[in-house]
Amino acid sequence: MVSRPGKYPYKRERVFLKEMRLNKTLYLMCVPALLLLIALCYIPFGGVYMAFTEFKPLDGIFGSRFVGLDKFRMFFISKDAMRSVSNTLIINAWGLALGLVFPITLAVALNELRRSVLKRLAQGLMFFPYFLSWVVVGAISWAMFNSDTGMINTLYKSLGWQPVKWMAKGEYWKGFLITFNVWKWSGYSSILYLAAMANFDPNLFEAAEVDGANKWRRIIHLTLPMLKPTAVTLTLLSIGRIFYGDFGMVWGIIGNNPVIGPWVQIIDTYVYTSMRTLGFSYATAVGLMQSVLGLVLVISANAVAKRINDGEGLF
Amino acid sequence: MKPFPGRHRSIRQSRGDVPFKVICVVFVVFFSLICLYPLWLVLSVSLSDETDVLRYGYAMWPRKFSLDTYYYIFRQSGSRITDSYIVTIVTTLVGTLGALLVTGMISFALSIKHLRYRGVIAFVCNFTIIFSAGLIPWYIICSRYLGFTNTYAGLILPSMFSVWYMFMLRTFLSDIPPSLYESATLDGAGYFGIFWRITVPLSKTALLTIGLMYALNYWNNWWNALFFINRKELYPLQFLLYNVLSSVNAIRGGQMPAGVGSIKIPAETVKMSLTVVTIGPIILLYPFIQKYFISGIMSGAVKE
Repeated sequence: MVSRPGKYPYKRERVFLKEMRLNKTLYLMCVPALLLLIALCYIPFGGVYMAFTEFKPLDGIFGSRFVGLDKFRMFFISKDAMRSVSNTLIINAWGLALGLVFPITLAVALNELRRSVLKRLAQGLMFFPYFLSWVVVGAISWAMFNSDTGMINTLYKSLGWQPVKWMAKGEYWKGFLITFNVWKWSGYSSILYLAAMANFDPNLFEAAEVDGANKWRRIIHLTLPMLKPTAVTLTLLSIGRIFYGDFGMVWGIIGNNPVIGPWVQIIDTYVYTSMRTLGFSYATAVGLMQSVLGLVLVISANAVAKRINDGEGLF
Repeated sequence: MKPFPGRHRSIRQSRGDVPFKVICVVFVVFFSLICLYPLWLVLSVSLSDETDVLRYGYAMWPRKFSLDTYYYIFRQSGSRITDSYIVTIVTTLVGTLGALLVTGMISFALSIKHLRYRGVIAFVCNFTIIFSAGLIPWYIICSRYLGFTNTYAGLILPSMFSVWYMFMLRTFLSDIPPSLYESATLDGAGYFGIFWRITVPLSKTALLTIGLMYALNYWNNWWNALFFINRKELYPLQFLLYNVLSSVNAIRGGQMPAGVGSIKIPAETVKMSLTVVTIGPIILLYPFIQKYFISGIMSGAVKE
């Protein structure tokens, strides 16, 4: 869209002004939303400059000393930073795998119940955790795992086993977080698969039944292949976001717990904590790298989706 | 013995299918109970006696039924909870209405096919989904330059426009036949008049769906408070719960009236009853709002 000097010098401008006059109201209706985006998403891009300076609040963003790529170098030699990257990838990879297998199984099972009261009740219960905030899930995790009165230890005691100090065992918590994540999102994701199933052609299934295929075979050879497009789309979406951890999940359940914290430190919480300990500039640099990596991955995932789905991208 | 081959087959088949169905039912019931269980536990503990909980641990059924904790958090702990409730309700109401108006207007504009620059505007929106400046610049801009610290603006504005919901709503509004708008244009109505008098009434369900999604988002929001609020009177409910889980002292007011300092704080049951109080309205509304979320998720989240 390069403007060509010399040729029709005012045309583009005239078209623009005419369009603005003609549809003034429509453009004005976009203004509040655009203002919010500009203030909260676009202006902060200017703040990215902080990543290349030694930011001092008194000097302001552009008055601080320029230090080039120092902050980025700090990131790559920091053990904490590398651990937060690997934690993010581990938690997300597990979330991706279980978030695929579990909701599909649930959807297939729910679909077998036809239109029964049980199905509606079960779906209502499974969907409910989606409505809870991570802080509430944090309260639930406290109810389950606190060492003195928690449900798990109460159970252990009643069985005559030695209670475990869960709150001091950081090594378990990655697994707990992954479990809570599956727990919270499975009902939601299974709705997506059920929606896909609702569009299946029942004739296909009847034909397979007439040909003597039993339930198992129908699921393996019909249902699962037909769910593939939905599964692929959701998987590509999560792969595009694999460097983004769920800040709310980790901070809502673990908070700044000094014992468990390091075990479940993800990039997002690392940015938040290093804002205080290592300074704004460093935290900005970490966040910037995450965004750039994320952008590359999202664009690649989108390209893959376009190739698979005949030109239909993810967004 | 079996004269009809068709019948024979269906019997053979059902032999394989019955166990399958049983497995499905068991799996579904099992997972449903796992989803119900923690909520039941939280409710049970909130209705228990604190000394029982400390002695015997959390239980699925209160040993001694007691409303003391609820009495404590609403009466004896000062106005902390009611303050937070009001903050959350105001934030949710104002935020949701504002978000609906903002989102509705831009979705409507972008659903008009002859709008010349709608592609550009859609790109400006879309770009924010795939690339962001990160947490810190956002935080600095909001707190230093936009003055969000300790204001309702800090609780409301950061969550007032979701590009995802905008595209969901636009998809819906695009299905309204343009002929409806054309006749109104002939009658001399402006675009805002068309939006207000034709689009909004026609898309009540879609607006309700998006509105409920925004409302849930506001109700459950605690990270805006984490970043911008440090005055206790402005803590939303979720953030109050977050603080109580970190340290139970947060529930007490700034100054304790003379002589009240000796009251023992029922720490464990307070945590659970505050959780119940926090999710209470959602539980009560859940049977009525669930279907809107399901239809919203089905229509917007995955494209064919």
